[in-house]
Amino acid sequence: MKAILICPTDGTAVPHLAECGPLVTVPILGDSIVAHWIERLAELGARQIEVIAPDRADLVREAVGDGARWGVRVDVTVSRFEPTRQESVERHNPEGGPDWLPAPHDIVVMSHLPGCPELPLFESYASWFAALTAWMPLALTPSRVRVSQVRPGIWIGSRAQVSPTSELIAPCWIGDRASVEAGAVVGPGAIIEDRSVAGTTARIAHSWVGPDTFVGRMTSVSNSIAWGSTLIDWRTDSVLHVPDPFLLSSLSKSRIAATTDRFGRAVGPKVPAGKRVELAKAMGTPRAGASDAHLPA
Amino acid sequence: MKIEREGERLTVTEINELTAANSSNFRDEISSALTGSTVVIEIDLSKTLFMDSSGLGALFALYRSTIKREGVVLRLLNPVPEIEQLLELTQMQQLFEVVRR
Repeated sequence: MKAILICPTDGTAVPHLAECGPLVTVPILGDSIVAHWIERLAELGARQIEVIAPDRADLVREAVGDGARWGVRVDVTVSRFEPTRQESVERHNPEGGPDWLPAPHDIVVMSHLPGCPELPLFESYASWFAALTAWMPLALTPSRVRVSQVRPGIWIGSRAQVSPTSELIAPCWIGDRASVEAGAVVGPGAIIEDRSVAGTTARIAHSWVGPDTFVGRMTSVSNSIAWGSTLIDWRTDSVLHVPDPFLLSSLSKSRIAATTDRFGRAVGPKVPAGKRVELAKAMGTPRAGASDAHLPA
Repeated sequence: MKIEREGERLTVTEINELTAANSSNFRDEISSALTGSTVVIEIDLSKTLFMDSSGLGALFALYRSTIKREGVVLRLLNPVPEIEQLLELTQMQQLFEVVRR
């Protein structure tokens, strides 16, 4: 059976998630959003899935390959704009053909996670975090053997290292190859993605720690999205680029390159020149020699 | 940076950044301005757009010197959201009275 997945492109409410790639390639709970969707559609019986990618289709293609991983055929199609579900239904499956998955899974806009249409992902950082925490219990599918629920509401990757002196408070998710060091407190409402580290006595609650992120000793990440050296308060959308790597930093070479300048200093997302001038006026004179990128977006 | 005294109150304003470049100076100037009659120290962070671990260290050193003086209150005024995030990340907001006016 056939199905179509449409990649949403509007990342204006969550720019720091969109800066490194298409929104659907952001890794959450161990895999990209598009991978979670392909897995769900494959479970429902899809064997041929077309992914419509208006934004950086090559990166979407890289994330999903040819679909062999799920036993399906996946084709990534470049589009100049993001079609609505209705437009795609009228164009591809107006009659609800028998060789298509039944609606609404025949054509899906990946603006939410599978099974949670009431929780939009990209409307704000708060909605992103709410969707992730709500989806935590649904993320463990039979095909995902590298994460298991060790206690009610506590999921740990099989190759994760969790110190016996750390404290895990449900609900929490510790990804594959992640590390929770001595005395660290993780949860409630904490997601530590693959290969990330919660340092000694660190505290992480009501937060999402992106993949390959180091949370330093004695630091406290709460009500935040932490990815590399970027810390976003999902309640206020305030964004901090943490200058000291021993507090919060990236363990991924590519992300280090993306978030630091040639001197290794943290930099933020590119801000249009006009906007920089407005911000500089609004915030007063920036420090001498400072990068404009330090100004809050 | 500007330091003003008004009775028992010492107010530090116009701190554009607090980093390795100026944290020693910050600490020394405030220490020399402290007198036995100082009861309230207010650090206005409303214009502080950048702070690193040296800046946090300077604030912590100030905190340690004030707790030695009985009855002295140290307040951080109007930190911008990014600096507030940094204080929360390092759990230093527990040490200071953070006031928004």
